[in-house]
Amino acid sequence: MSFEPKILGIACNWCTYTGADLAGTTRLQYPQNLRVVRVMCSSRINPSFIFKAFQLGADGVLVGGCHPGDCHYNTGNLYARRRLAVTKKILEFSGMEPGRFRVEWISASEGNKFAEVVREFTEEIRNLGPQTKFKIS
Amino acid sequence: MATSFKQIEENLKTEAGKLLDAGKVSMVLAYGRGYDEKHPLPYVARSLADVDGMVFNEYCTANLARYLVRYPRGTKIGIAAKAADSRAVIQLIQEDKVKRDDLVILGIPVYGMKNAKTDEAIDAKTTCGLYNPVIYDVLLGEEVHGQPVLSPYEVLEKVEAMGQDERFAFWKKELDRCIRCYACRKACPMCYCDPCFIDQNKPKWGEKSPETGGNLMYHLTRFHHLAGRCIDCGECSRACPVDIPLYLFHKKVAKECEEMFGQAAGMSIDEKPALINFRVEDSDKILE
Ligand code: SF4
Ligand code: SF4
Ligand code: FES
Repeated sequence: MSFEPKILGIACNWCTYTGADLAGTTRLQYPQNLRVVRVMCSSRINPSFIFKAFQLGADGVLVGGCHPGDCHYNTGNLYARRRLAVTKKILEFSGMEPGRFRVEWISASEGNKFAEVVREFTEEIRNLGPQTKFKIS
Repeated sequence: MATSFKQIEENLKTEAGKLLDAGKVSMVLAYGRGYDEKHPLPYVARSLADVDGMVFNEYCTANLARYLVRYPRGTKIGIAAKAADSRAVIQLIQEDKVKRDDLVILGIPVYGMKNAKTDEAIDAKTTCGLYNPVIYDVLLGEEVHGQPVLSPYEVLEKVEAMGQDERFAFWKKELDRCIRCYACRKACPMCYCDPCFIDQNKPKWGEKSPETGGNLMYHLTRFHHLAGRCIDCGECSRACPVDIPLYLFHKKVAKECEEMFGQAAGMSIDEKPALINFRVEDSDKILE
């Protein structure tokens, strides 16, 4: 059987999640490999969520937030940007393939961008193959 | 010439005595005798009579800033602080865990400190490599001049050069040896959370017994929680009974933070910790 990646999406309520909704209501096609968890803001994301997702078998993790300057809480994503940049470096230094974790800013009106990002990211993960390093068997 | 350990010990006793006698502080955190001279213990002097029990030698590596957060806010404390320790004090002030005005910092220039387990000199390989305290009220010896032989991040070269798979195998091998005694977090001046995330049961972040998954969760998250805060004293690695080179990971994160945010932890009381701060002009490049 061909490999179907399991991808965790964590999207903020106000932009990326709404953008995903828009992608849906405009009937855009994108791969069904993404399972989205909604959080109120990208700054709500505890970096341990990401480690945990990989341990539970996610092949990739995609975080979506409002564009910097557009966060519903004004500055949430500006903190999140720094924090998630550190998460990325830590994953990389631990030996995880850096491509398995991505942060994207997607606004509520960017249904197209959402679909595009999911398509692209799924392909990238498909090429990387199953994630086995962190996975707890 | 660096001041001798004996001389520093004398100066420490004199200055601590003066502070306690004048009632300027209610305690002085310093080092006292252990079961042998290689294992001095943290020591709290509360009165002039206690001062005699203080010692200072090349094995006094413990970072006493670790103990500052134990006492109620407002307690006036004198603290003996070597170079990296003084950075920990600064970092705790930045995080509003202690107030500058409540502290009298007895700075100790360090030269020739040794790891009690290996008897090797402690240098920039395992610590930040600074000789002189960054902040102090009284300096207990002459400043040490000269540049550290190594930059604090040179030691990373080997691990940085590894490929992803090799590096993962390296860390897996190291972290799998962890027996979860938590000496690393006990030794660390920045690990003051109660309860620590790994001790929580709801949610349960990772297994509590020593096994691959829980070890990885504990350590990766701990490295993350110390990002922009670890002042590179190296105490976690020295405390570890199975000698896991935690300092390598902490140094890597510190290096990345310095490059991304343009500031090192614990260097100025006027800064904010990098991760509870942002600049509007931070670039998305850091996420690549
Ligand atoms: S993580 Fe280790 S090196 Fe960093 S401050 Fe804590 S004890 Fe010191
Ligand atoms: S001190 Fe060493 S063995 Fe103990 S918990 Fe820390 S890394 Fe694990
Ligand atoms: S609400 Fe979308 S990033 Fe803060």
